[in-house]
Amino acid sequence: MRSYEWMVEYTPQTEWIERRGILIWLAEVSNGIGGGLYLVSLYFNSLFGMFLSWLIVILLKGGFHFAYLGKPMRFWRLALNPRTSWLSRGFIFLGLFIVLGAIQLALSYWLPGTALEFLFKVIAGLMVFLVVINSGFVMNYVNAIPLWNSAILPLLFLSCGVLDGFAFILTIGLFGGSVDMVAAEAGSRSLLLISGFIIIIYLWGATYMGPTGKRSVVEIIKGQIAPILWIGVILCGIIIPISISIFSYFVGEASVPLLITAVICEMVGAFSLKYTILRNALYTPLIPTRS
Amino acid sequence: MIKWGMVIDLKKCIGCYTCMVTCKQEHYLPPGIFWTRLLVSETGEYPQVTNHVYPVLCNHCKEAVCVKVCPSEATLQREDGIVHIDYDKCVGCRYCMIACPYQQRTFYSDGKKGYFPGQGLTELEVIGKELYPLQPGTVVKCNFCKEKIDEGIRKGLKPGIDREATPACVNNCPTKARYFGDLNDMKSKVSVLIRQRKGFQLHPEFGTEPSVYYVD
Repeated sequence: MRSYEWMVEYTPQTEWIERRGILIWLAEVSNGIGGGLYLVSLYFNSLFGMFLSWLIVILLKGGFHFAYLGKPMRFWRLALNPRTSWLSRGFIFLGLFIVLGAIQLALSYWLPGTALEFLFKVIAGLMVFLVVINSGFVMNYVNAIPLWNSAILPLLFLSCGVLDGFAFILTIGLFGGSVDMVAAEAGSRSLLLISGFIIIIYLWGATYMGPTGKRSVVEIIKGQIAPILWIGVILCGIIIPISISIFSYFVGEASVPLLITAVICEMVGAFSLKYTILRNALYTPLIPTRS
Repeated sequence: MIKWGMVIDLKKCIGCYTCMVTCKQEHYLPPGIFWTRLLVSETGEYPQVTNHVYPVLCNHCKEAVCVKVCPSEATLQREDGIVHIDYDKCVGCRYCMIACPYQQRTFYSDGKKGYFPGQGLTELEVIGKELYPLQPGTVVKCNFCKEKIDEGIRKGLKPGIDREATPACVNNCPTKARYFGDLNDMKSKVSVLIRQRKGFQLHPEFGTEPSVYYVD
């Protein structure tokens, strides 16, 4: 964008996607994968999955966010305004998840099957649910960006996060983890359909968020980086995994290379979806313009 | 209760960029950082073309979304309506920049960047860093020259009337297109202008209730 077009034409947000903003994109993807895997691991009672997702949330999500801050050593200040700031709430949820998740992991390792373990599984599950859905609320609160100002966004992030979780749990199962592969595949299949449906509803809804929302959707579908939607999100993220999933449904069991292909494609879809949403977030021009 | 606000007369504005330059001088702003800007656009088709020139700055909104989203309570709103940033509290998460529908905030990333690359900082830039210390890694924006307002009030002066207590962009506008004053005082110049000339805010639909009005 040329400097004289800034806020005169539709202006994309750059802070959370360009230069160091790439870290926010990576953090958002890690948030979905880590949180989703934790929830799915809880369902399949995969201790390794829970531990891995706990690490992903702390090291990747937390790490990328930390690295992005202009004054990282003041990170603790992020917790000071939970009354009105979703970022603050998210930081608190994250902190609680790290502590409660660690306790739950310890209980699952040393005291499995106890009432205490079950209690902490519920609490840690609730915290990670809030962590995953919170990033949707952080963006949804910004009414200056109509593409983000949608109630469906938190739901989309949640469904895609859990879908990523299913992809990872399948990988864990493929490499010898104690995972019910048939159930994991069935869950993955259902969520692929649900996520695809939510993406369509989300984009369709955004076209009703005024001219700026409509323009964002047009950019997503037909703009310069539209291939990221069509190839990354639709083809890799939905069509290929669902084709493999349907194939395995009829054949009985898909081969390992096919399942790995599906998992890799789902990961490409996860990265592409967040990139598309962050990159095409447009602001309304401030003054009268031709566009 | 006083509520500071500004009125910009678009009929008087000639788009000379003096406000931008004078603001940079007043606050010793580093390269690439502007607390007030000039937006220029055209509408219509030849020969019926209209040129629009809008000076824009932080609107010091009554319902400031930047204050609400700031997780570290670094963005604060004073009782007189001025929204300002406490650089000692800002963590540089830039959520305020994302949330501001007017995009009037800038991330100050490089404290060593001077106006003459490769030649170090000039004497004036060094003095500026002492007089107006911005912190790299934090977000910066217009503060309605609050230090001038506060100092002026302490001296018994009236912001918007006495130059010493009035924002620099208002003082130095060569066409006197900018007015500053108390929006809650029905007799102040800004209130009269808004009333008589149907002052409007930029994008009131965002619901932030800006304190900067325009008349044309």
